[in-house]
Amino acid sequence: LHQARWTRPVLVALLVIAIALITLDFRDGGDSSVHKLGADVFGPIERVAGDAASPFVGFFHAASGNDSGEIANLQKQNDQLRAELSQNQVSRADEAQLASLLRLASHRYRVVAASIIAAGGEYSDTVTIDAGSAQGVAPNETVLNGDGLVGTVTSVTSGTATVQLATDGGATVGVRTADTNQIGALTGTGGTMANTGDLRLTLFSATAVLHAGESLVTFGSVGGRPYMPGVPVGQIISVTSQPGALTQTALVQPYVDFSGLGVVGVAVPQSGNATTGKAAAHGKARK
Amino acid sequence: MIVRRVLLSPLLLILAVTGQLAVVNRMPLPGGGGTPDLVLLVVAALGVTAGPMTGLLAGFAGGLALDVAPPGGHLAGEYALVFCLVGYACGRIRELVQGASAERSAITSLTVMALGVAAGEAGKAGLGLMVSDPNVTGPVIRHVVPAAVVYDLLLCPFVLWLVALVVGAPVTEHAPQVRFPQAFRWAPAFRLASAGAPPGLRLAGSSAPLVPPPVRSEPRLRLASGRSLFLSGTIPAFSTARPALSGGRPAKLNFSSSGRGNQLAGSSALRAARTANFQGKSPAKGWLRSGKQAGAAATTRRPNSPGKGWARGDIPTAPVRRPNSPPKGWVRPSRRASAQLGAWQQRSPGKGWARGPKPANGGPARRPGSPAKGWARTGRLSAPDSWRRRSPGKGWARTGLPTAPGSWHRQSPGKGWARTGLAVGPPSWHRQSPGKGWLRPAKPPAAPRVKSPGRGWLRPAKAAPAPRRKSPGKGWLHVAKPPKQNWYTRSPSTRWLRRGRRKRLLLGGRR
Repeated sequence: LHQARWTRPVLVALLVIAIALITLDFRDGGDSSVHKLGADVFGPIERVAGDAASPFVGFFHAASGNDSGEIANLQKQNDQLRAELSQNQVSRADEAQLASLLRLASHRYRVVAASIIAAGGEYSDTVTIDAGSAQGVAPNETVLNGDGLVGTVTSVTSGTATVQLATDGGATVGVRTADTNQIGALTGTGGTMANTGDLRLTLFSATAVLHAGESLVTFGSVGGRPYMPGVPVGQIISVTSQPGALTQTALVQPYVDFSGLGVVGVAVPQSGNATTGKAAAHGKARK
Repeated sequence: MIVRRVLLSPLLLILAVTGQLAVVNRMPLPGGGGTPDLVLLVVAALGVTAGPMTGLLAGFAGGLALDVAPPGGHLAGEYALVFCLVGYACGRIRELVQGASAERSAITSLTVMALGVAAGEAGKAGLGLMVSDPNVTGPVIRHVVPAAVVYDLLLCPFVLWLVALVVGAPVTEHAPQVRFPQAFRWAPAFRLASAGAPPGLRLAGSSAPLVPPPVRSEPRLRLASGRSLFLSGTIPAFSTARPALSGGRPAKLNFSSSGRGNQLAGSSALRAARTANFQGKSPAKGWLRSGKQAGAAATTRRPNSPGKGWARGDIPTAPVRRPNSPPKGWVRPSRRASAQLGAWQQRSPGKGWARGPKPANGGPARRPGSPAKGWARTGRLSAPDSWRRRSPGKGWARTGLPTAPGSWHRQSPGKGWARTGLAVGPPSWHRQSPGKGWLRPAKPPAAPRVKSPGRGWLRPAKAAPAPRRKSPGKGWLHVAKPPKQNWYTRSPSTRWLRRGRRKRLLLGGRR
């Protein structure tokens, strides 16, 4: 066969192409146009496959409660309501503070519910949800569910969006302790989806004192991106003060069960402009 | 099969990618967070079953798909690089391990695939470390890789089976079995009963044959010219090198079987492997015939034989191997194949070794001074059927092979190795074939620089190149003049000399 003669040249060529791709993507910070192309190609396939696979995956999530398709649907609505409720509660409780901090009082959020249709491999805590720009989802929007913070949207196609979970090794969330308002940064430990990794909290203040059991909420970012303020994140389970370190660090157990994610909500800022209004209408129509 | 591969492999890959992303990655599997990698499994299986080219293409495509499909949390090209290497390596190693025999055993394929998959998992982690992926850290790798490898290994057999099914390449592939007629199956029994001597042989010194020979009339050997000098000429050359048969006793050849044995043993190992249609062509005037069948095997085969006393190879044939089969009066002395086996021929029987029409009159078996170690076995068989079964030679193995454009032929015989293509006895022997059972065409024995044994004794030398071109192949001997044949008019070419002069020419050319 002529195969044998061409095998090695083809191998070398493909390896060179692969290395070139890695290099380009590395330069672009993992966000080169190849990913966009791939999302356009594989997004629809994943939507179909994710919907089709949901019952099976739900079967494996039986322990978590997501059992069958119908239950999943109800769960979806339930989660959405809970997410909104949680958001309202958080908002109401912290309204004054938030307003004083970031002048976010005028911001209202609309929660676009979406279900997870695909997940990254063992080395990345990213998921794909079945809501995209058609539903008004845009990059750097907060993703949450009824329990608390899930992550943030990193990229969007028309029908899908990629969410970087808070446990991802590359994610950093600004948080504050709910009671004492100490601020710090919460980074993922790269724990995988199946193995819910704990988060690592690093306080900014050297004098602050942490206690196990304190709960953390997001501190918020400018314009609510990538994390909107006031979303509960997790609970401190252990405080470690390393000798020589200026500040305290703590391990935080997230409220969200990342291994059992089924339905999440994307907090889409509602402003008065037309495009978001249109997107909201789209989202409503879809639902 | 190629079309099937081209069509179905991408489908399989797409299924694997979507299944991986939409199902497997979402499952909360126990054990450290590792998940099986369906794409890696499929790529490795494709490499193992369909070869390195398919493997590397599938690896690149599948890996790139995993890289760029939406939730991909790593750089584009990472998995493409790793999977490409894995697919190629799987195919290549499988070829190297099993290529020489062109047989596939599921165990070996599975082992290669498992190794490739494990290497792929390690490669994913290693490349992630190299590009400083924040998610790929030491603790994560320690947790993830073992679990992932275990899951992969568990899935290996199923994926391999599925891929082989889809691609259409069998996981297990033995060399083709030769279908022997029933009589052939009895030959070992006879051999056993006669303490290693073939049924047609009587052991010298034994008062009676151990196995009652089949009733037959006096053997008639129809020699070309029937000249005794032709026969007696063989004696000095060969009788000293008479091979010890099993038990160390020299065999006394019955003449009938010796005629046939000579013809078959000396010349038709390969020819008999080709088929009946070849056999139908080849017997020409100069061929030696035994007047009667020698044994039970031959008797059963007689209906198919082109004539009385002709043995027939039972192997399904490939192309007509010898369209330019020698015209009448020509005999093929050496067991050698067509032109493709030129190298082999040069090594194998050696000069002066080929023997066709020289039935040693009651003399040694047809291969005195058998040249190679591998021939020890053949030496004790002289009935044509059993001899042929053991006859080595590349061409012999090729006959029964599937002649699909697969690379079997190309890969199969290693360099310098001739292959006994026929399963002799238990098939397990055959399966292990790249080992013991392989015969190596040995170096030719030093050409016996004996004087010409006598008048009429021809040496198939390499001399006389011009006539060789016309001759059916190297090693063909011209038989002495057929008895009542106008041999002179039937000579293949006028450039061939007649016997008297030719001897001088051949011997002269040899110097």
